Amino acid sequence: MTELTFIAQLGIYAMMFVVLAAAVAAVTLRNLFHCALALAGVLIGVAGMYLAMHAEFLAMVQILIYVGAVMTLIIFAIMLTQRLGAGDVAQNNKQSLFGAVAAAGFVVTLGGILWKTPWPVKEEAVTSSFSASDLGESLMTTYVLPFEIIAIVLFAVLIGAIVVARKDAPKGAEQ
Amino acid sequence: MFYGSGVLRGMLVTLKNMIQSYFCKPEDGGLFTSQYPEKRLPEKERFRNFPFLIYDKEPENLRCVACDICAKECPPKCIYIIRDFDTDGKPLKKPKIFDIDLTVCMNCGICEEACPFDAIYMDHEFEISGRERQGSLLYHKDDLLKSNEHFHKIRPTDAAAIDTRRQEDEAKKQAVKKEPPKPPSTAS
Amino acid sequence: MDQLFVGIKTALLSMLGTFMPDWLVTVHSVLISATGIAIFGPLTMMYLTLIERKVVARMQNRLGPNRVGKFGLLQPVADGIKMLTKEDIVPYKADKLLHLLAPITIVVPALMVFAVLPFGRGMIAADLNVGILYFLAVSSTTTISIFIAGWGSHNKFALLGAMRAVAQMVSYEVPMVLSLVPALMIAGSLSTGAIVAAQAERWFAFTPWGFVAFIIFYLCGVAEVNRSPFDLAEAESEIVAGFHTEYSGMKFALFYMAEFMNTFTISALAATIFLGGWHGPFLPSWFWFLLKTYILIFVMIWFRGTLPRLRIDQLMGLAWKFLLPMALVNVVVAGFWYMSSGVIRTFGSIACLVVAFMVLTALNRPYVPEKREYTFAEN
Repeated sequence: MTELTFIAQLGIYAMMFVVLAAAVAAVTLRNLFHCALALAGVLIGVAGMYLAMHAEFLAMVQILIYVGAVMTLIIFAIMLTQRLGAGDVAQNNKQSLFGAVAAAGFVVTLGGILWKTPWPVKEEAVTSSFSASDLGESLMTTYVLPFEIIAIVLFAVLIGAIVVARKDAPKGAEQ
Repeated sequence: MFYGSGVLRGMLVTLKNMIQSYFCKPEDGGLFTSQYPEKRLPEKERFRNFPFLIYDKEPENLRCVACDICAKECPPKCIYIIRDFDTDGKPLKKPKIFDIDLTVCMNCGICEEACPFDAIYMDHEFEISGRERQGSLLYHKDDLLKSNEHFHKIRPTDAAAIDTRRQEDEAKKQAVKKEPPKPPSTAS
Repeated sequence: MDQLFVGIKTALLSMLGTFMPDWLVTVHSVLISATGIAIFGPLTMMYLTLIERKVVARMQNRLGPNRVGKFGLLQPVADGIKMLTKEDIVPYKADKLLHLLAPITIVVPALMVFAVLPFGRGMIAADLNVGILYFLAVSSTTTISIFIAGWGSHNKFALLGAMRAVAQMVSYEVPMVLSLVPALMIAGSLSTGAIVAAQAERWFAFTPWGFVAFIIFYLCGVAEVNRSPFDLAEAESEIVAGFHTEYSGMKFALFYMAEFMNTFTISALAATIFLGGWHGPFLPSWFWFLLKTYILIFVMIWFRGTLPRLRIDQLMGLAWKFLLPMALVNVVVAGFWYMSSGVIRTFGSIACLVVAFMVLTALNRPYVPEKREYTFAEN
């Protein structure tokens, strides 16, 4: 079976590579629609990573919500607010070198901090797997307060969206 | 009744149609599609397609005298006639060339109504497909000549009426030949 | 007979196991299932096109295609050859990559759902323990494909059709998910195999909440697949065929294939979750599953032959104003059913659902303006 784990590990590394490539493409491509599609690729790849870590529920919900709904919203936003025909948006400007240096410094600092921190990860937390029913139980018992607060926040969002999207009654015109 | 009952009633109608299409005869709800190349529907007499020339017993006895009336009356001008001349140069009452361009003919039947000699009538032939535009769809005199029996077969009532009329005219002509007409009486 | 296909697969694997190492046999087990699905899926789709044409024709008092083979059985082959040999036209200013990507990203999810369908006893390709969620996740990626198709055609009518199709799909996903929730609650698991096993004594469709959930899921499924009467986005007489206007040849064949595969999967899932999956007396389990699925597909074709198309505002109104509240009430009723027992639960749930139905239809009456009085008209 070690051959299978080897093939599985190869597959996981390939998926990580694809995620990184798509993420780089999402910020460097010229055509904005292509960038949005690369972002969808990144999100699908991240779902694949969740699958590799035995979190199936999270992977499926990631695809359902991010790729199914959030990407739709992002693509709507891109389509409705930007003229994509002119593909000659400049990719660099005069401050590119300074920006690259600052980004590299940030990556080095953050990477160093992440590497050196002793994360309190237990062995059994990495290898265990939860089922959807365990998640549901913990949402209803241990984490019930955040659950209810999220429910109230979503409710407020729905009401706000309806209020914002309603047509204004022509009261001003009648006066 | 309840919301959605109309949809269900409509769906029962289509289901009834579907089941009837398998079991019922064409008259009461079954299928009345006729499978074309194997079974053809009977032709109606008044169906009208491209014209043809009539001959009485032999193809040399064609009724057409090349008077050119049908060519002049034809709206898209698809008929082309050239009269035949005999060896002395005198005109004969026959066409040498009688061409109809089927790609131009619009099946109106005006040539049939205009001909005073009962020579050209509309045929029922519709399965004329050709691979080239001008090759097989330009009919010459030999292609257009068909016998009076063919005319009787496709349009019996019209052919019978025309034959009785022609026989009456023949009989009147013979009667006039036997008895010369009286000279007009001189005015007093 | 019941385990015919399982027996074939185990025989093949044991034959392979004689000369291959274990891990390769595992890989082959996956490959055999995948090949089975890859053959069954497109073959189903081809013959579904023929069944649809013939059934719709019989409902319209005419014969369907019957010239190509005996009873038209080779017609899908002729259609396939036609689509393969057609010229592939890409509009001049369209983005070639996007134009190519859209049919691919719409067929792949359609085919991926076949992996969680329980074709028979022990015949699921991948018995995931989040099977239903997998189906919902994978079929929600179709919205992006439709966007890509509409945008990549560089045609404003295709874009408009794509926007309408996406709006329709997104709005019908909500009642669909909510209608599945009662079945998941009662079965206690997201896995399709477990849901079928939970229907051993009594199919979910024979309970009050299950019946309503089945109807809601089926209607939302018909709308998700963009079939009549919800096919505003892609019918021939509407905005020039919608998001697949500029596609011809093999790319259009892929869109068509995705639509029919989606039809099959939605019917199969409705049969699995509500009609008892492969349960049934005497006959083999896979035969019952296919029979139930094909009966539901026949009902979809029946809808197509009968009903006129819904307008876009009627479509959206149906989803948001009728199906969504009904699905929410249904969830509550299912919870009540689970908690109580005896006569009270049957009558209570039926009464609750009927009252909710009446209230919603009364609230959704279309606006009828009052009759006008004409003073100078005679009668």
